[in-house]
Amino acid sequence: MTRPLDRFWTVFGREVRGLVRTRVVFVLGAVVAALAFGVARAGGGPSGGYVTTVVDLLVVVELLVPAAAFAIGYRALADATARGEPAVLETYPLSPWTYVAGVYAGRAVALLAVVVVPLLALGAHVATTAGPETTVLATHRGVDSVALYVRFVALTALLGLVTLAVALALSAVANSRRRAILLGLFGLLVVVAGTDVTVLTALGGGLLDESALGTVLALTPSGAYRGLVFEHVLSVAFEGRSGFVPTGIALVASLCWWASGLSLAALWAGFR
Amino acid sequence: MTDDVALTATDLRRSYGDVTALDGVSIDVPTDSVTALIGPNGSGKTTLLEVLLGIERPDAGTVDYAESDAGRRVGYLPQRPTFRPDDTVRETIAFYAALVEDDPDRLLERVGLDTVPDRRVSALSGGMTRLLGIAQALAGDPPILALDEPASGLDPAVSDRIFGVVDSLAADGRAVLLTSHALSLVERTADHVVVVEAGGVAARGSPAALCERTGGPLHETFVDLLSEPTAAVGGGGES
Repeated sequence: MTRPLDRFWTVFGREVRGLVRTRVVFVLGAVVAALAFGVARAGGGPSGGYVTTVVDLLVVVELLVPAAAFAIGYRALADATARGEPAVLETYPLSPWTYVAGVYAGRAVALLAVVVVPLLALGAHVATTAGPETTVLATHRGVDSVALYVRFVALTALLGLVTLAVALALSAVANSRRRAILLGLFGLLVVVAGTDVTVLTALGGGLLDESALGTVLALTPSGAYRGLVFEHVLSVAFEGRSGFVPTGIALVASLCWWASGLSLAALWAGFR
Repeated sequence: MTDDVALTATDLRRSYGDVTALDGVSIDVPTDSVTALIGPNGSGKTTLLEVLLGIERPDAGTVDYAESDAGRRVGYLPQRPTFRPDDTVRETIAFYAALVEDDPDRLLERVGLDTVPDRRVSALSGGMTRLLGIAQALAGDPPILALDEPASGLDPAVSDRIFGVVDSLAADGRAVLLTSHALSLVERTADHVVVVEAGGVAARGSPAALCERTGGPLHETFVDLLSEPTAAVGGGGES
């Protein structure tokens, strides 16, 4: 009898093989690389160092990474449902949790390759073009360093993984490719803009106190990401300014979005 | 054929809103034999099959399986088995085999697809796809095989081949439970026939016993049974 871990790797392997075969990973990787390099070079960030490059990239990445996550995840479970696969898998000793974990992990590897590889390549480009004031470690405020850029890449990966979990949850609910596309677009809109707009509307309507804005924005995937990048990467550029978002709340909120997405996907897959 | 029973279902009931799909069905599925569920479209055959498989939960009633050490309790072939189109035949079956530690090559050989292991699923004919589905159902060597319309939409020669495979699976000691509209093949292959009508059992018995009703082929008995105004008998009425 196989163990759950073996079955996880079986599902994982099939996902990775399927993604490589459809070449979607290579196309998305090329798009992310072209946009990241194009935007950074247009802004002149690389010659200024890592922090200026992050400033150039932040807005684009905040849109691009969720879009890549949804592109990779929106059909992950919907296609299987449309094929009638859940009914067949129900006769195997494969729990919905193991199945969803395997699908997620396979897609996550693809997403990380699509997002992280181009950003690291851009980092290498900065290392060869930036001025002499760029160092390895920032020892005090105002000092640029590769460590800050690595933090940016790590936080960007976190945004991607959280968004992919949300995409998987919506894919589990969809039972056809058409519905998966609609739900994917809806989810992307919510992650990229919807949550921020809701918070700002609440602020404008007096439902939210301005002093709580940072905390409430930290509860949304994009708000948490943006706040953490400001707090832990760009803060070197803001003399005497910090506390953009509470780091703990932003990380816990991201973890909650991630766990909720995967749990919903597994519960829905099991409910079928 | 033995008298051992692989599965016993008692007084199964299932409704979808106001529609009664199963109305007190009881059925035994013996090992070493083919049991065919036949009935008109919408009679409740597929619902019964899915309840027996555990895919659907009954509103009432029980399903008991005989003890087994197999990797899985039931193998299932859906009505339209669909696989990832870009995967090859071997990759497809290797995925299912790995979930229950089975040998994919053995499974392909068992259904005669070992000659096309590298062919993409998208390039398979309908009959080959159905055989791949049967290979999938065999993974883990389950004691019960449930096949939903294994020959629907296939030409007579391919249907014949599929039912030949089905027959040999029962000869291996399995309990094969299938739904089908191919009554001539059912008459030739099945050991037991259960006629399902309006969520109940209208008749049951061996093909020969059912054919004795009209003296003609199973098709005639089937039409004759369904023309009776009170054909369906809930609670497992006998013929």
